[in-house]
Amino acid sequence: MGNPLLAFWTRIFDTDDDERRLRRASVRVAAASAAKASATVFLILRRMRAPLIVLIAIFAVSVLGLTLIPGEDPEGRPHEMGFFDAFYIMSYTATTIGFGELPYPFTYNQRMWVTISIYLTVVGWAYAIGSLLALLQDRSFRSALALQRFTRKVARLGEPFVLVAGYGRAGELLGHSMDALGRRFVVLDNAAERIDGLELESYHADVPGLAADVRDPGHLGVAGLGHASCEAVVALTDDDEANLAVVMSAALLRPDVPVIARATSRAMADRMRAFGRPSVVNPFDVFGDHLRLALRTPAAYQLLTWLESGPGAALPSRGSPPRSGRWVVCGYGRLGRELTADLRREGLAVTVIESRPVVADAEDVVVGDPSQPGVLERADLEGAVGFVAGTDNDTTNLSLVAAARRINPSLFVAARQNRPASGPLFGAMEIDALLVPTEVVAHEIYAQLSTPLLWRFLREMPAKGDDWAAELVARLSDVCGSHLQALWKERLTPQEAPALSAWLDSGTARLGDLLRNPENRDESLHAVPLLVLRGDEATLAPGSDFVLAPGDELLFAGWPAARRALGTILQIDAAREYVVTGRRVPTSWIWRRLTGTRAA
Amino acid sequence: MNLEKVVFGFFVVLAATLNFGFFIGDISDPTLHNPYELFAAVVVNLIATVLKFGDRTQIGAVHLATSLVADLQLIGAALMFGYATYVSTAGMTAAWTASVVSLSGGALLANIVSVVLLVIETVSFHRG
Repeated sequence: MGNPLLAFWTRIFDTDDDERRLRRASVRVAAASAAKASATVFLILRRMRAPLIVLIAIFAVSVLGLTLIPGEDPEGRPHEMGFFDAFYIMSYTATTIGFGELPYPFTYNQRMWVTISIYLTVVGWAYAIGSLLALLQDRSFRSALALQRFTRKVARLGEPFVLVAGYGRAGELLGHSMDALGRRFVVLDNAAERIDGLELESYHADVPGLAADVRDPGHLGVAGLGHASCEAVVALTDDDEANLAVVMSAALLRPDVPVIARATSRAMADRMRAFGRPSVVNPFDVFGDHLRLALRTPAAYQLLTWLESGPGAALPSRGSPPRSGRWVVCGYGRLGRELTADLRREGLAVTVIESRPVVADAEDVVVGDPSQPGVLERADLEGAVGFVAGTDNDTTNLSLVAAARRINPSLFVAARQNRPASGPLFGAMEIDALLVPTEVVAHEIYAQLSTPLLWRFLREMPAKGDDWAAELVARLSDVCGSHLQALWKERLTPQEAPALSAWLDSGTARLGDLLRNPENRDESLHAVPLLVLRGDEATLAPGSDFVLAPGDELLFAGWPAARRALGTILQIDAAREYVVTGRRVPTSWIWRRLTGTRAA
Repeated sequence: MNLEKVVFGFFVVLAATLNFGFFIGDISDPTLHNPYELFAAVVVNLIATVLKFGDRTQIGAVHLATSLVADLQLIGAALMFGYATYVSTAGMTAAWTASVVSLSGGALLANIVSVVLLVIETVSFHRG
């Protein structure tokens, strides 16, 4: 499909009927919303009718009067003022500029008329300008204008973008990671102040944002649900119902676009899965899984959290949760249930403290408010190894952690932070495992959206064991330092790596030969290959002896400079030749002729 | 009877009749074309335009378009009139008068379209 015209043709005429029908449906939805916005503009125009007509009438009467009243020139001859003079005088008089009496001093007749006109026209102007300013301040008018501007911006987006519905803390974190990767996104949120906040964020790319109800499919349509470049929809509001509505709209109007939604209960996750195949992220479930991973393979957990945090993230410290002993979980809500089940699945004993009467499926439960004296003691904290403060109140969680540490200072403490404002307090408490639901959601979604290779890597990595992960963390921190640098993928296809084709076909293309500095091949590139995907078969952290084949997809972590260097090697024959064999090959045609070397 | 319709119809028809009144007569004879009538036509046309603001129907949009055309032509005529009387040394010559009147003739055509639209709207309303 080299011919762009041909590609265009197929794109237009080769689509399925089904797809076309759906595209039409979402376009219609967007059009309905846009029509609502233009209706508001019409209403504003209609409201401007009265002030404008009053202004025109006052002007007409004043100007007409001035032309009819006879004046005289300095010699006392009668002089009839023309329309232009009259209009000119009225214009500067009405706008209170006042140039004086033109072209000759007025007669008393004229002055009487001008006096009346001044009062009339000034009132008319004040009325018209006042109404106009009031309308410009009008909320519905401003939101209609914002909607139109937003619609235009989204329609003009040419590159692939992600539609983010809900721009809370999680949306913000996700936005920054996506922006660091150079990906575009469009934001929809109920709260106008969050959308205003978009302007203050220092994003590299322009982020179109609209304050509107995400449950309205029309707003999703305006935000690009029907747009050909929309590559994914993310439902991130803190309201599960609203997220479900977004999943429904996306599944019904654009079934071909992947959907990622946040849900905080299993029941809601099941309801979402009834629509297409959305990827549902439940922060409590994910945290439970992460804790299990941390229990089994702390190094793998460390690697997972590091890579999930996006470019620029500091290397998290490697915790060592106790693998045997008894845990105490405070709060048997959504988080408490998940954690208790996960810990018991790992073969650990769990004591639950919950102030509400016992829940049927729980065993080993202490009923009572944990903040009351004596309740924590009843749970026998001295004999426990781990403690989870998992209520939905930050103050309670902090005081629980303090109380538990006083009873048993050697406890491994996990806590849930609900509000971003409490972050510094939890940081000062030095919690061993901190759950911030919004961050968990943002990281998980980032891992899914950034590249499919990273997601694949993170899913297959835990099976490799702790020692393997520890070694990879060591290699990564050798290359990158304590902060994660760029993450990128390369495809060894003839289009994207033209210099490599012949070498790859030879069957002796060792990965280690490729990762050398194109300036000095004795130095290796500051990049670590994380994954090679061949067909559907993935090789994690391939060694330098790994033999590459055409069509392989590689995921790298390393310095941005290494990314540029690798790009050079993949594109330029001479660089590849030098890196692989150590021979300096002339790049220009003339020099090649002169030295008698042939292009490989 | 809807008062809004009365006012609307009044201004649309008045704009057309005033325009016609200014236009009629020998095209190059300035004495047959009263500047006050041109002034009145401009004012009434402007009011008619504002009255057509904010109508969302298809016919409303065409109404607004014809009115804008008439405004453009009449204001053009008024500007030429002003230029001829104030700036040009020759004054209102036959050629200038012809230009002014022919511009107002164009506006008259737009105003006639407006009146036709008004009639169509009324007739279709009664049938529907």
